[in-house]
Amino acid sequence: MGTIKKYLSVYREFLGNSLAEATTYRLNFFLVMVMDLIFYATSLGSIDFLFQYVTKIGNWDRDHFLFFISFMLAVDHLHMTFISENFWSFSGDIRTGKLDFVLLKPISGLFICFFRLMRPGTVLNGVVPWTLLIAFGSRLGFGFWSWVSLLPMVLLALALMVSIEILITLFGFWTISSYGLNFLRLQFQQLARYPDFIYRYYFRKFFTIFVPVLAIGSGPVQFLFEQGLPGLTLWAGGALILISALIRITWRKGLAAYESASS
Amino acid sequence: MQAELLKWTRTFAITWSSQFAYRADFIMQVIGPALVFFLVKYNLWSSLFHLSGISQIQGYGQTQMLAYQAWVFLVTLLAQGYNNMNLSEDIRLGKISTHLIYPFSFWKFQTARFLSFQCIQILVAALTLGILVAFDLVEIPNWDHLAMGLAICMSVGVLWFVIAYVLGLAAFWLEETWVLRVMFVLICNFFSGAVFPLEIFPAWLRGILVYSPFPYLTSVPVQYLMGNLHQSVGSVFLAIGFWTLVAWAVAYLVWKNGMRNYAAAGM
Repeated sequence: MGTIKKYLSVYREFLGNSLAEATTYRLNFFLVMVMDLIFYATSLGSIDFLFQYVTKIGNWDRDHFLFFISFMLAVDHLHMTFISENFWSFSGDIRTGKLDFVLLKPISGLFICFFRLMRPGTVLNGVVPWTLLIAFGSRLGFGFWSWVSLLPMVLLALALMVSIEILITLFGFWTISSYGLNFLRLQFQQLARYPDFIYRYYFRKFFTIFVPVLAIGSGPVQFLFEQGLPGLTLWAGGALILISALIRITWRKGLAAYESASS
Repeated sequence: MQAELLKWTRTFAITWSSQFAYRADFIMQVIGPALVFFLVKYNLWSSLFHLSGISQIQGYGQTQMLAYQAWVFLVTLLAQGYNNMNLSEDIRLGKISTHLIYPFSFWKFQTARFLSFQCIQILVAALTLGILVAFDLVEIPNWDHLAMGLAICMSVGVLWFVIAYVLGLAAFWLEETWVLRVMFVLICNFFSGAVFPLEIFPAWLRGILVYSPFPYLTSVPVQYLMGNLHQSVGSVFLAIGFWTLVAWAVAYLVWKNGMRNYAAAGM
């Protein structure tokens, strides 16, 4: 309990610092919000235009697809607000030796590296994906359990996405420059933005089992649609546990390979 | 003249070697878009036709749509690869101060870097074209047509470079310019025909887009390479040239005003 309190108080400090920084650069604060809104509009617009020419893709109609896109936008919103900034700063920490100072602190280095930077400005944008989720969920006739499990499923998807991305980013210990890793991470995000059934059999299996990016959205959304516990949802939870273990191992190996630039 | 040429070739060579300095990084930047093309676009469009049971969308059957997406991928590699990521940092941290006293202007330096990057992109695109032909996704048109298509893509690349330059120069006023770049890429992807052919858009939107530079960034070069363009090549170059001049004029004004604001941090 004491440890959780300690980490919460540190996280509160991170939040305070990010808020102070965000309000200092107000134009940037505003532009990030606009950028998110453009992203939402183009993502939803693409699907909406497509459904002017088709009525169904597989078993899903327009509302199912737009619910899925809104679900991924809600995950993406939390990711953008609370996590994404840290992935870009990690390689700088390694290259410049800033990581040395992180390692000296009496809390987990992983926690500092991947949770210290936030974009508080984009919190307000969360209204858009959540409104859409509720609107499309209502049109799809969601039952009590679907509504109750909506937030936990968004958090499960977020946790899986973040854990995969942390694992990829940790390879920056060896590649030093992580521009390519970040690029790859963003491409994986794109894969996850579509439901798994659009991918062909072997691609689907590979990106569900070995690199479980397709389980990020499809696992939780299938649970919400089917109101049961499909295998893919269970696998999303299982993959999260497995990847968390891999992150610990990779972090340790990465630190062993780390050549401090500042010392 | 020879001394000037040497400055260009040296900058070109340094950029070339710095692109390959972190090889894993470079390979991932090449693999990333290819992975997305084969996994997202190929699968999405194949499934869309297969699972929805339709045979055509606005005149595009499955084969034509996949060919369209494959050419979009190539045009994007050739014309929209340059992102000028370091420019804003150079301005913010005061690194451009050195360029102000060097006998090789900042603009020339950036242009030489861009030319070097474009040469690498041509090699990557040639390799990608070979793979797409091997998978039977695109057919190589005759060589004259391909050469003209490459020339159109290169001219779009210049337009893209000038736009990226203008966005980078916003660092004279903004702490971060990546937001502007991402915004531009999002808007451009959507309105240039990179996501799907412009024929799929509502007619009113297509009517507006004709008066913007967006179709020339992706749709027009792709339609030319597919042999479906209904306008003369001369008018395409004229339009791209016009928008490049507009972007260049904006870059000139932004640079002039920015220099008045420039605080030369670190001096």
